[in-house]
Amino acid sequence: MRIEKHSNSLIDYNQPLSFVFNNKAYKGFKGDTLASALIANNVLYYARSFKYGRKRGIIGAGVEEPNALVSLEIGGRYTPNMKATEIMLYDGLSAVSSSNPHSIDFRAMIKPLHRFMPAGFYYKTFIKQKVWSIVEDRLRSLSGFSKAPSEIDEDVYDHIFQHTEVLVIGGGAAGMSAALEVLSSSKKARVILVDERENLGGELTNEFTTDQTATLWYQETKERLLKYRDEAGSRLKILTSATAYAWYDHNYIEVLQTIGTGQSMIQEGVQSARKVLHKIRTKEVILATGAHERPMLFETNDLANIMLSQSVRRYVNEFNVVAGKEIVLYGNNDSIYNTAIDLRKHNVESKVIDVRASGVESDIVLEARNLGIEVFQGFAILKAKGKSRVTGIEISKVEMQAKPPHWKSKWRVTGDTQTLNCDLLATSGGFNPVVHLDCHCGGKTYFDENSQSFLAQKDRKNRQLCGAVNSIGFWKDAIADAKNKAQLTLLSLGEDNEVNPQELTNQSRNYFNVDQFFTPLEILNKPKVFIDLQNDVTTLDVSLSIREGYQSIEHIKRYTAMGFGTDQGKTGNINGIAVAAEFLDAPMSEVGTTTFRPAYTGVDFGAMAGRELGDFFDPQRFTTIHDSHVNSGAEFEVVGQWYRPWYYPKDGEDMHQAVNRECRAVRTSLGMMDASTLGKIDIQGKDARELLSRVYTNAWMKLAPGSCRYGLMCNEKGMIIDDGVSTCINDNHFIMTTTTGGAASVYSTLEMWLQTEWSHLDVHLSSVTDQFSTVAVVGPNARKLMKKLCSDVDFDSKNFKFMQWRPGTVCGVKARIMRISFSGELAYEINIEANFGRFIWDEVAREGKEWNITPYGTESMHVLRAEKGFIIVGQDTDGSMTPMDVNMNWILAKNKPFSYIGRRSFSISALKSEDRLQLVGLLTKDDQVVLPEGAHIINNKGVSVGYVTSSYYSPALGRSIALAQLKGGLSKMSETVLVKIVQEKQGLKEIPCEVSSSVFYDTNGEKVDGNE
Amino acid sequence: MFSIHCPYCKEPRDQNEFSPAGEAFIARPENPEALSDEEWADYVFYRTNLKGDHWEQWVHTSGCRKYFLVKRSTINHEVIEVATFEEIDSENAS
Repeated sequence: MRIEKHSNSLIDYNQPLSFVFNNKAYKGFKGDTLASALIANNVLYYARSFKYGRKRGIIGAGVEEPNALVSLEIGGRYTPNMKATEIMLYDGLSAVSSSNPHSIDFRAMIKPLHRFMPAGFYYKTFIKQKVWSIVEDRLRSLSGFSKAPSEIDEDVYDHIFQHTEVLVIGGGAAGMSAALEVLSSSKKARVILVDERENLGGELTNEFTTDQTATLWYQETKERLLKYRDEAGSRLKILTSATAYAWYDHNYIEVLQTIGTGQSMIQEGVQSARKVLHKIRTKEVILATGAHERPMLFETNDLANIMLSQSVRRYVNEFNVVAGKEIVLYGNNDSIYNTAIDLRKHNVESKVIDVRASGVESDIVLEARNLGIEVFQGFAILKAKGKSRVTGIEISKVEMQAKPPHWKSKWRVTGDTQTLNCDLLATSGGFNPVVHLDCHCGGKTYFDENSQSFLAQKDRKNRQLCGAVNSIGFWKDAIADAKNKAQLTLLSLGEDNEVNPQELTNQSRNYFNVDQFFTPLEILNKPKVFIDLQNDVTTLDVSLSIREGYQSIEHIKRYTAMGFGTDQGKTGNINGIAVAAEFLDAPMSEVGTTTFRPAYTGVDFGAMAGRELGDFFDPQRFTTIHDSHVNSGAEFEVVGQWYRPWYYPKDGEDMHQAVNRECRAVRTSLGMMDASTLGKIDIQGKDARELLSRVYTNAWMKLAPGSCRYGLMCNEKGMIIDDGVSTCINDNHFIMTTTTGGAASVYSTLEMWLQTEWSHLDVHLSSVTDQFSTVAVVGPNARKLMKKLCSDVDFDSKNFKFMQWRPGTVCGVKARIMRISFSGELAYEINIEANFGRFIWDEVAREGKEWNITPYGTESMHVLRAEKGFIIVGQDTDGSMTPMDVNMNWILAKNKPFSYIGRRSFSISALKSEDRLQLVGLLTKDDQVVLPEGAHIINNKGVSVGYVTSSYYSPALGRSIALAQLKGGLSKMSETVLVKIVQEKQGLKEIPCEVSSSVFYDTNGEKVDGNE
Repeated sequence: MFSIHCPYCKEPRDQNEFSPAGEAFIARPENPEALSDEEWADYVFYRTNLKGDHWEQWVHTSGCRKYFLVKRSTINHEVIEVATFEEIDSENAS
């Protein structure tokens, strides 16, 4: 319910807002979070729990909330698994619970069976019994998390790279103080201040109700910071509604910021980013991440309206809401008194149950008593009563033991149980410094006996801790600590200021000094003492895990699911570790923590993608001829980011028909193809030949200017990595071509050798792939067309032989014409300056009409080369094939003086084995069956002995052909093997095939000179 | 993501501009044919994989495309030193 307005509240009562939650309309105000507005409307239930389907309410007020997960909005604006405590209310907001608490739930219906559903229940019941596949869908839909979005995200996300000297994480008292100290003490250090809330201040705002000096300090500091932010040449950036969720190497920190919190983004035409991912590289980090309160443990501590003490305090101070009328505060530190006092100042009554021994009459206890607050000291809550919400508690006097083992609970239950009525219970079992981020990238934690929690290691390079994360609870001490740490940060930056270290007051309020673990075994052994509310983990689950042998905290986590989900154990983990310590009878320091990994909070996939979507997902490369292909109706395939024509369907042809037509044209008359995408490396220098000779397996020293040669490139392991034709322009100048996909890596590899091993060679490389366009003119009539296009070259086959090149002028454009062939037919590749590509392509197409010139794509190219048994590196080879394996011993030079790359490996025994996979041809007995690529060849025991690498229907042969890697294949010619395939409707079939040479067509190479 | 100071561009740049290129100072044997299979395998396959300060080769792929040397702690990824091959050569010579 809403209570009377207080001057420090953030609520603007002049701005009422309407919203819908779980299909019901509500009213709230500007300044509310969805959670505070719902509490004002007396909404109690937000979720069904993960495993048992128990109704759950809110326990937190911010990022620590484990229960109130909602799906915000619908359609393209749908966002799953948001915390209601972190959504700033706006008019028209619509949200539903991630798992609807009001639905009828089968898990809740089988309540009597819950005791039979311990940790490991689903595994033991379903997976072990092999019926998981039947029940999986049904169970997953009950998992307590939102459904995955089904529509494309309409929101826009941006990435911003930031560089700074100092990154302050956390904008509470400590963070604000640290940022201001850096700015005022340094003349040059830049600062980025990050906070997850919409406003700076953090938990300091809770002090405003009782401490006027806190308000004044806050206002003054904020004003000064804003002045720094807004001045010319500003050195300060303030990111609010922004969570630093990951810390990676070399102080690289990612921060996700929500833009326009408290505003609906569902307005027509709003295209600004919804979230911004800041990628921050900083020299120094100041962590002021604060601490999370942990709950007390007792039976059925998961009932609705059992909250954390600090959240009740924040709800009443900031939002003027309180979730009940009969309020009990329970805990082991002074936080509960703060809350009680603040409630009292808002005229709300409460009782305090302090588990600590009676007689502790500190200032704050006296202050509470003086305000008329009833305080029970030395009492513990044993059980919360109520069906789904708390209606009362059972308490009992506790007795303090003088000397328990130093890690054991100090108190034991004595005396009779009393019952108290209450409709809101807020607890505090101490505070866990938020060390998650510090641990993402190598930071270590140690166990601190005072706070009974794990703290970040004190000294770490380029990082300081201040405030509550440094276990300093009192705000004045936090700001003093922050000033000192800011000075240390400047020192680390090399700025040497004369400063007076600030003295800490060490005031008497006690948040971080709590008793050894605060719950004795007699309570932990009760059922339904929940540790992790989001994953429904109870103390008995931890006990079971330990009994079943999963005793390491990492094993306990995985056995019970404690600390998983969107929650990542923010409230539950330290309690879980403490419970494990109790059951293991070992100190918490020995149990240790689980590993903290990014991300601290959920990160939208959209935010990770940023603007790199659709056309911006990957670079797209187009040849200069591209538009012509589009006009011809080509279908494209992407090869190494290039958009290559795949095939050119005509008049409703399917791919098969188009490819057959294209191949026939090439084999019988004339085809043309855009070969511009092949990688081209210009190699110059007097050692150019030497380089080729070292990286290719064959000889290059005698290749004459005017000639071309095919080369096969291996790595030192002796495995084929690339192939292509290199052209000798003159003795000091070669052009190497590489495969389309291999261009970048070949270029890099050559550079590596030249820069690291062969720096004495006089040779230089330039990538010229983009500088040239290549039009291949292919088919028996190619010479006739070339004569028509180019008059200054003698195309006579005796004078311009296969594997030669000539400079010439094609349609008035200077060109290098290479006579090389990837199809076995007479072919010329016209290389021209890239910008003439389209012109030459169109001219070739026009002039070639009399021979019915046919453009063909990569698919036909593959068929044509497969007919000739030419390999494609990366398709017929896979990084484990040697030249011998592909039956290319002929390309291995014997007498080169330099032991070329890979050569030595060829003589290693493993590479000489007869039983290696070797490239062969396969001819199906039924010549119309086309084998699927990737299908396995099996032996008579059904074991794979190889697989199909290329398979096509060959229009020239009127039958199917395939290339395959087969164990010892080269010595199995004419043998019959079986290929196992799945045929539609017929299931698995074994197809008999004959092993053949990999050259299927024109086996004597008679076609290469074409028609005169 | 590391921040690596490129000794040629003379600036710290993000790791995604660079590619690692293996352990440094593994010279290609001058006469591979004279080596036993074990010695050759040692050059091709075996690396020290040490825990501590490790010299490795990096290339500024999306920058100057130069190969250079980085001494990096394999414990916490701290970059202790960067150098060009020339710098190391002249250091060795002197």
